[in-house]
Amino acid sequence: METLKITILTQENGEEVIKEYEYTGNLNIPVTTLLEKVNHGNNTKIHYSSSCLQGLCGSCAMLINGWPKLACKTFVNEEVMTKYFHKITIEPLSKFPVIKDLIIDRSKIYENMKEAQQWLDEKAKINPEHIPFEYEVSQCLMCGCCLESCPNYNGEDNFMGVVLPVSSSKITAQETSDEKLKLHKQIHKKHFYNGCVKSLVCQDVCPMEIPTQRAISQMNYKSVWHLFHLFNRQEK
Amino acid sequence: MDTKNVLVIGAGLSGLTCSVKLAENGNNVRLFSPSPSERSQSVMAMGGINAALNNKGQDDSTSQHYTDTINGGQEINNHKAVKKLTDDAPEIIEWLDSIGTSFTRDENGNIDQRYFGGQKKQRTAYAGARTGKQVLTAINTMLRKYEHENLVKRYIGWRFLSLILNDMSECVGAVLINEFTEEIQSFEADCVVIATGGMNKVFGKISGSLQNDAGTTARLLQQEIQLANLEMIQFHPTTIKTPVKSMLITEAARGEGGRLYTIKDGEKWYFMEEWYPELGALMPRDVVSRSIYKVCNQLNLGINGENIVYLDVSFLPEETVKVKLDEVYEVCTQYLNLDPTVDPIPVYPGIHYFMGGILTDDAHKTSIKNLYAIGECSAQYHGANRLGGNSLLGAIHGGYIAAEEINRQTVTSSNNNEIIRKELEKQMEKYAQWKDNQTSEYTSSYTVEEELASIMNNAMGIYRDEETLREAMGQLEQLENEKIYSHESYYEYVLIKSLIHLSKAFLISAINRKESRGAHQRIEYPEKSDKYRKTTVIQEKNNEMIVSFNDTDEKMGW
Repeated sequence: METLKITILTQENGEEVIKEYEYTGNLNIPVTTLLEKVNHGNNTKIHYSSSCLQGLCGSCAMLINGWPKLACKTFVNEEVMTKYFHKITIEPLSKFPVIKDLIIDRSKIYENMKEAQQWLDEKAKINPEHIPFEYEVSQCLMCGCCLESCPNYNGEDNFMGVVLPVSSSKITAQETSDEKLKLHKQIHKKHFYNGCVKSLVCQDVCPMEIPTQRAISQMNYKSVWHLFHLFNRQEK
Repeated sequence: MDTKNVLVIGAGLSGLTCSVKLAENGNNVRLFSPSPSERSQSVMAMGGINAALNNKGQDDSTSQHYTDTINGGQEINNHKAVKKLTDDAPEIIEWLDSIGTSFTRDENGNIDQRYFGGQKKQRTAYAGARTGKQVLTAINTMLRKYEHENLVKRYIGWRFLSLILNDMSECVGAVLINEFTEEIQSFEADCVVIATGGMNKVFGKISGSLQNDAGTTARLLQQEIQLANLEMIQFHPTTIKTPVKSMLITEAARGEGGRLYTIKDGEKWYFMEEWYPELGALMPRDVVSRSIYKVCNQLNLGINGENIVYLDVSFLPEETVKVKLDEVYEVCTQYLNLDPTVDPIPVYPGIHYFMGGILTDDAHKTSIKNLYAIGECSAQYHGANRLGGNSLLGAIHGGYIAAEEINRQTVTSSNNNEIIRKELEKQMEKYAQWKDNQTSEYTSSYTVEEELASIMNNAMGIYRDEETLREAMGQLEQLENEKIYSHESYYEYVLIKSLIHLSKAFLISAINRKESRGAHQRIEYPEKSDKYRKTTVIQEKNNEMIVSFNDTDEKMGW
């Protein structure tokens, strides 16, 4: 049987902590199951967050050999045997404060969503043609993979990352209050448009395969380009 | 109307709905959960939500929904609660639609509805293959507004420890713990709403969320709150075994036309269609599960002699499998390495839902004044067997009703500072005792959890008998005496201790119901008995568990 070397790289009280383990056994398992086996096998507790164990809830987003992924959908065999020589490094996502081991505090995302007023003030306007797209953006897990990989998001300045247009592309399609729509456009410009350099990496890493580029371009059109078109037309 | 201070414990669909409805009326809500709402088990509900919208021209009506629910639950549902549930269902769908849920539409632009088990009408509205997630996103978005207005304050990472009860045994608040920082805090409140989901962890890793660990229900039992129908555990007919855990293949697979078969004399045998020509594989879940059990264990016709039959969707249009059932497609390809558009899926029944839990009446009141329970943790709507599509409905409806009741209640102000201080001190002392008394020489909590799950799965299977149940009681008593090492986690320690206790209540409830009804099948009592057309109520008093059989519609009287 093959042996896997596991390195858990995290922080405690601002200091780096490295924990190393070995595991021999069935390797056709996802990383969450691996963590469980390491815990049981060593009578220890590496804290990690998991809930559904089948890629539906986003709890277990972490860095696996440097990539932000859902640990429950990332199988060890594919990941480590070919590319990483039987070694796996597991870290918490780096752009969020660490609570314990692999558990992170994502409250910044939720604070941003509140600040950006991501809710409907009026009854939703339903257009059956828009439903497939609205369905896709509603799948967002708030797992943070997109923010982790985004070259522009740092959790500190105005830029809120692609979670904002993913949410507001649905909300602005359903909202009927003109005043609120105007506000959403301003928020998009301030908290997204001005900060995104279009690396497009968010669409590649999203575990739910949300069409983030479509969400972005819809919001850019509504908030920025649409106004240019109007302006140009008036000039002519 | 008075403004109330409410603690809502649990932020899945029922807790979210209740919080939204409370905040709409200006109440102050503190909403506790182990993690954000996106992580709740609600997002795992695929199939849909039942309501007699009658969008399909089949003359559906709320009274037929009522009858199907009562028949499915084998008449021990709370009838008054089911009446409200089914009457309110169309309005709930309308509300979900109005707050932006992306329901799948039919060619006329109406909300589409499909067939689900135990119902002859197309009554199950759905949002693609992820109804729970889609509904949750909409309600969560709505709640954000009230969080912004500071009417709702969230506490993430918190778990319930105990209720604060005054001299009259009325609830005046709760003590909770932050699972990671181990901060223990008391919270005063006019009302407490429990929305903590099913009792998954008693049975180890079942199909649902790991976070629904039964801890709150277990600790409420220890504080003498009445629980109900614990023996009523739903086995979903079609679960698959993966290296991760048991996973569910949604009933929608059969709703869309999927067929169940095994091999008999070298031929495919569609046993459900032969035994139940009218509904076939879409009989209520308890019936389908028992049929599969019979095929494998009594007729010895499981595939390759194993506890397996096949669920076949491969003959359906590829688009149906990949779009309407995309979760089935993903689970099979990712975790089984099987393409369901080509091969049949090997399935067997597995534990999936708890019809039993905290006893509540049709107003979602519990046996303790000012304490409500909603969602899967509360027992009332589903009786001896829940229909597919009624769980999302029940969760949301519970949130509606509890909020309505709380709005109606009048607040009596009294000074509870002393009581609150005492309860907090008591919990802090327990924590200090544990802290001083931990060593890895004790039995690992992992081992205890596994033993507990093994005892309970063995005793509380699809068929039960007194001897096995009593044997399990003995094993639990032994387990209770183990000294446990919980890897420096106090919450884990409290949890496992209380779960052993709760498990005894499961067994005692099962021993006392001496009949076979719905999800509870006793080998010695194969028939249904009118004597037990009642709710099994269990309560712990002075270290003794007392069982009684109450009228299904009994009110709490406060």
